[in-house]
Formats: sequence, structure tokens, C-alpha cells
Amino acid sequence: MHIKTEDKNGIIICYLEGELNLNTAPQLKKAFEKLISEKQKKIVINFTDLSYIDSSGLATLVEIFKKLRAYGGVMKLVNLSTKIKSLFEITKLEKLFEIIDNEEKAIASFA
Amino acid sequence: MEKTPVIEIKDLVKIFDGRRVLNGVNLTVYKGETFVLMGGSGCGKSTLLRHMIGSYKPDTGSVWLMGKNLTTLNEDQMDEVKKKFGMLFQSAALFDSMTVGENVALPLREHTKLDDSVINIVVKMKLELVGLRGFENLMPSQLSGGMKKRVGLARAIAMDPEIVFYDEPTAGLDPIVSGVIDKLISDLTKKLSITSVVVTHDMNSVFRIADRIAMLHQGKIVAEGTKQEIEKSNNGLVRQFVKGDADGPVTFFKDKGDYLKDLIG
Repeated sequence: MHIKTEDKNGIIICYLEGELNLNTAPQLKKAFEKLISEKQKKIVINFTDLSYIDSSGLATLVEIFKKLRAYGGVMKLVNLSTKIKSLFEITKLEKLFEIIDNEEKAIASFA
Repeated sequence: MEKTPVIEIKDLVKIFDGRRVLNGVNLTVYKGETFVLMGGSGCGKSTLLRHMIGSYKPDTGSVWLMGKNLTTLNEDQMDEVKKKFGMLFQSAALFDSMTVGENVALPLREHTKLDDSVINIVVKMKLELVGLRGFENLMPSQLSGGMKKRVGLARAIAMDPEIVFYDEPTAGLDPIVSGVIDKLISDLTKKLSITSVVVTHDMNSVFRIADRIAMLHQGKIVAEGTKQEIEKSNNGLVRQFVKGDADGPVTFFKDKGDYLKDLIG
């Protein structure tokens, strides 16, 4: 999996590419450790190029969510494919995360 | 839609002590279906299941799982394949000295480098799927038979497998709990796009969960078809099995001549 982060006017956009699975989930956790240590408050995770996510990937997102929330950080998920979105629904995580259609809307919602 | 085979068994023969327990089995299981293997006690169905999970090697023939010929894999390659399927054992096979949560977490701790904090979240997610969230800290001895099966199922799906094998999932359970387990199997198969292979002789269960059914008798597949086809089958073996008749092509008693000869030697 490839992870790229960009700072767009104080909002951190995190682009995920490839598969978020048992092998790559620790990579995501590590990438977020830096953002969390910087106490970044506004984060958008862009799923456009994410082809697959498994339970360990979902659990890693929950773990990140918990850490962000502890200091008042907010994260929003954008551009989820229908298949990935259904996984959030099956695991009832769609109620935990703020899932938004696209990056622009997510950025606007922080305003 | 094109059906993708995930398990293919070709001309499988297994001989134990000179007896052909499996005698030329050919079988294909397709992605996303619930495939039920039914047959009487001792017909070879558990032996066939053990070939599918790589515990037994056939004497002749081959077993293909997700495109890999299990008969040619070395131990490391087999370990990789094993990560992609889960198994619910007849006895649930939980470790009595571990909590429910530790049992479910076991495959993740053994096969991945995930942190405990992430593993604990996965465990909660899996227990929620089988309706047992909040039971993490109980010991298996504090659970009913049906609950143990559900924990076994949560453990079987801990690694997000492509295939789950079930060995007699409803054996020893009352009808209501059997129904609950069957519903879980059906729901998880559909929701998580898992392929399920169920070995059972519980006919209520067979018709509740199966997309396709094969009947094994004396080491051979004697009938194969959709649930509807098996229900309407004219095959005497299938009819007898479905109805549970003592009389029919399947005989349980040897003729008297053999018995008397046996007694007098």
C-alpha cells in the first residue's frame, strides 16, 4: 500500500493506494503516529485508490479515530467504493465515521 | 454471471488399511456459494473435508484450493494457503485456558504483526458479527454449546478468510440453536462474500443453508445439484437419506448367514 499526505490549508489529506490488509495496516498506523504526535486536528482520508480493506484495516482506522478524538481531532473518510462502504455498514462502523462523498465536500465541512 | 471455482477435487482416492475410503471423488465448489457435503456416518465426508484443508494427502488425484494444488505444496506454501481459510470444528475446539477474546485473537497473534490494540478491536468486531460482543472475558467453560460454536465461528473468520469450512456445525445443538448457527452461516456467507463448505448430516440444516449439495456414499459422490434438484431427486440413496428411512439402498445390517458364520468361526 502507498500512503501520501498533503496539507491543504491546515487540513491534512491522506491518500491511500492499494490494499489495506493484515500486512499493510501497521503501515497506516505508523503514518498516523506522526500526525497524531503533531496533534493534527483536521484529517481527511481519501479512499479513491484503495482497492480493498479488511477487518484489520477497519480496526486500524478505529484505533486512529480513538487517538484523534482524545485530543479533539476529527477525521473524515471520502470517496469510498460501494464495496468498501458496504463493509463499513456490515461492521456498523458507518455510524462511527463521518463518511462523505468527496474531498471537496469534506474540506468545505471543516470550514 | 461466470462462476469461479475456488475448490476443485479431481479423481481423489484415499485408502486406509486397504479400504478405499474415498474412491474417485470429483467436486467443484464455486466462489460465494454455500456448498453442503452430506452423507451418513462413515461415508468419508470428514475425510474429504480433511483433504480440502490439507490435513490429508490423497493417494492419487489432486485437491486445488484457490488455484493452488495442495498435493504439491511445501509446508511454508501450505501455511500461506491456510491463512486464507477458516475452519469451524465440530467441537468448536476452543482453548479452555484462554478467554473468549484470546481464542478469537489467536490466529491474528500467530499470523500477523498487528498491535494488541488493533487485534482487540478486530476481536470485538468479529464477536459482534456472531452476536457475542461483551463476552470477551468469559472462559469457554462458562459458555453453552451454541455459544462455543459461535466463538469458534468468530475465530474462523478472524483473518477475513475467503473460504470457511464447517464440520458438523449443528451437531449436539438443540433445534433453535441449530437454526441460529445456520442463519449465521448464511448471513456471513452472503455479507462477507465468503465461500462456505459445510459437512453435515443434519437434513434441516442442509435445506436451510445450501446453495448446492453433494451426497457422498461409500467414498463416491452419488448425487450433486442445487437444493431444489436434491429435494426432487429420484436417486434412491438421496431419497432415503433425506427422509431418514431405515430401509432402502443404504443397508445397515449384514445378512444373517454372515453373522452365524461369524459366531461359529
